[in-house]
Amino acid sequence: MTPRVFNAATVSGRPRASVGGASSSALDFATLGRAPMRLGFGSRRVTSRDLQIVEATEELLQQEVPEPEGVAQNVSLFKGFKATIPSADKSRIRRRQTRNVETPRLGLKQLGMSARGLLGDEEDHDGASVASEEDVVMVGRTDRNGRGRRVKAKRKGRQSLSASKTLGTDELVRQTHEIERDKENIHVRRALINNEIEEITHKIEALDAIRAKLEQDLLRLQEEELELDDELEGVRERLEMEEAASQPARSRSRPSNLPPSSRRRKGPAFLPSEHDELPPGVAFMSLESHTTPITALDFSEPYGTLVSASQEDSQPRVWDLLSGEEIGRLRGHRGTVKCIQVEDQICLTGSEDCTVRVWDLRRVDEDEEWEAGEMLSLSDVAEEDESTGEGERAKANGIKEGESSRPSSVAEREGACIRVLEGHTKAVTAMYFEDECLVTGASDKTMRQWDLNTGQCVMTMDILWAISHPPTSAPGAALPAHLFPGAAAAAGTFAVPTPPYADGTWELYQDFVGALQFWGYGLVSGSGDGAVRMWDMRTGQPHRTLLGHTGPVTCLQFDELHIVTGSLDKSIRIWDVRTGGIFETLKYDHAVTALQFDTRKIVAATGENGVKIYNRTSMQHSTLMTNGHTRPVERLRYMDRYMASGGRDSVVKIWAL
Amino acid sequence: MPTELPYAADAEESLSFDELEVLRLQYQKELSQGHVTVQTKFNYAWGLVKSPMREHQAEGVRLLQEIYRAEPARRRECLYYLALGHYKMGNYEEARRFNALLLDKEPSNLQAQSLASLIDQRVTREGYIGMAIVGGVAALSTLALATIIRRASRK
Repeated sequence: MTPRVFNAATVSGRPRASVGGASSSALDFATLGRAPMRLGFGSRRVTSRDLQIVEATEELLQQEVPEPEGVAQNVSLFKGFKATIPSADKSRIRRRQTRNVETPRLGLKQLGMSARGLLGDEEDHDGASVASEEDVVMVGRTDRNGRGRRVKAKRKGRQSLSASKTLGTDELVRQTHEIERDKENIHVRRALINNEIEEITHKIEALDAIRAKLEQDLLRLQEEELELDDELEGVRERLEMEEAASQPARSRSRPSNLPPSSRRRKGPAFLPSEHDELPPGVAFMSLESHTTPITALDFSEPYGTLVSASQEDSQPRVWDLLSGEEIGRLRGHRGTVKCIQVEDQICLTGSEDCTVRVWDLRRVDEDEEWEAGEMLSLSDVAEEDESTGEGERAKANGIKEGESSRPSSVAEREGACIRVLEGHTKAVTAMYFEDECLVTGASDKTMRQWDLNTGQCVMTMDILWAISHPPTSAPGAALPAHLFPGAAAAAGTFAVPTPPYADGTWELYQDFVGALQFWGYGLVSGSGDGAVRMWDMRTGQPHRTLLGHTGPVTCLQFDELHIVTGSLDKSIRIWDVRTGGIFETLKYDHAVTALQFDTRKIVAATGENGVKIYNRTSMQHSTLMTNGHTRPVERLRYMDRYMASGGRDSVVKIWAL
Repeated sequence: MPTELPYAADAEESLSFDELEVLRLQYQKELSQGHVTVQTKFNYAWGLVKSPMREHQAEGVRLLQEIYRAEPARRRECLYYLALGHYKMGNYEEARRFNALLLDKEPSNLQAQSLASLIDQRVTREGYIGMAIVGGVAALSTLALATIIRRASRK
């Protein structure tokens, strides 16, 4: 009808709408009534701040309100407010003013300013009343005011300033109360400041912790980078290999029967996909069949074939790592096997019977078909003992035996042993082969280089001779003084008691050549006199001797940059290949008997039940013990994330790294 | 452990300009140094809330909210101050909610109870005024209507 009516209708309509918009539960008189206020008189500019506040309310109300404790309980905010606002100081100022004494104008400000070297305004001399002549401060002024020597107020000599003033009891009482309150304020402020200091300390600690974590992350990144470098190399090698394989194989530089060395391959290995599901640092497989401490082990590839040998047992056992079953044994040796190397299908073993045998592991498989205990003619027996001279083909037995084997029931077959290499006069304790070249070290203190194609010994290197004729190019190397006393016995039979293992046992260590490795023409050997020698295989002469170990060297490995050696003197030393200097020495509690390293870690068997791992980027030591050995570990070998270890408990354990 | 809180009346009296200025300078000095202590922030916020100007009150409430978020130990007191701030600004709904939460935690707090009753009083008073306005508007409109009808009927 009329705008007014409309107005009224809309006015009454709007409150209802806004009420509906507001919480429906508060539909009461008060809320209804307030709406017009908001529309009419309550209209103000709604700033962003208001909106911000209102929005935040919801969120804040949700948050938890804990019990106040500590400072919050002792000193409420309001108390703190009263203690710290400027007017808190008022009472002090007031008290000071009550102690202000009326004195004639002293002109102290002028004095102060001139003391500071500032020019002050000229004081108002007229207003300055005369001062008493006994007033020391006024020395400078006495001349000027010499005319008026009489002080107005004080007549009989000067009294102390405080005597002229009486404050009154009430005032004094009030002042005591005020002072007490001020002291309380000080307590309050102290508590506040202490609290703040604590909070800041906590924050600093938290930040420090964050920084430490970030530094650790940096180290981890470094490790990953090294890993990637290795992987790149591995991938490149494989690329070359596959490219070469795709081309027609016209000129193969090496015969097909010997595979490339796996020892120097750096890239990652090929593993079944399930391997990723294994928790790292856990021994997930145990191979139990030996009855004496393990003396040597090696495997062809992860989940491939493993060959292990133990003390007093001349037959290394062959295992299938996919199933964890023993496939067979290598029969032929007549003494404990001290060193093993496996490359794909070829296995080399060196034993105390002074011989090295070359085995074809595929033939061990074949023997599975033969029943154990089947008796055949023993006409081949005679041939076994007649393999003399070097390089003769000899037939030996590589027959699979049943769980309970009796030597008499063994039947001869075409065995797995391809070749027997003889020449050493004492136990063969260390060896390394690559392509067709094999180097062995024996307790007769010599090392021999063999050609695996022909089976001939190509060169003999005499260590004793090298000890007594040190290379003249080594400056300042006074050899005999550095070597430990056992070296004196090097001339005779070499036997050194090992320091006790973690379980207290010890042995007589008699391997003069503890370990060796070669690459190209360079050979590195570690021997019982504690010296690490670098030989040139073309001349057969050692050109460098690295001294440092005080016990026989038991294990050794090198790459382009470092030589890592472990010895019975409970230490592992890392040497520089080019200069021969020592990078690092790692000390352990017991003798080191086996090690292997790569750019990121060193894995070592150090006479304890757990396998020790040293992280080279973070310089941290760790131990693998889960489901591990029950007696000290003696031998180990790993490839990528797969490791095999053998211990004095006669068990071979397989680990996921 | 009752929290020591000021009565709402204390919030009605404001600090002098100089005092507020001192607090503001202290706050900003600490801000520039990088670390503001809780007490300084509260002093400044409380001074702002006490002021009669709405912008100050809003700023004060904002600072109190920051304290609330940052210091769990101080939250209980902040509930009260936030309620007081909103009360002065006229946001009675929020004031009521904060105060209600505080009374949940500390039913025996005198100041909180008095604030609750104050809020209620204000709300109802505004309600009366609102109703009065509505009534006045209605009366005016009826009067105008009557005049028009009379005029129309006369003519």
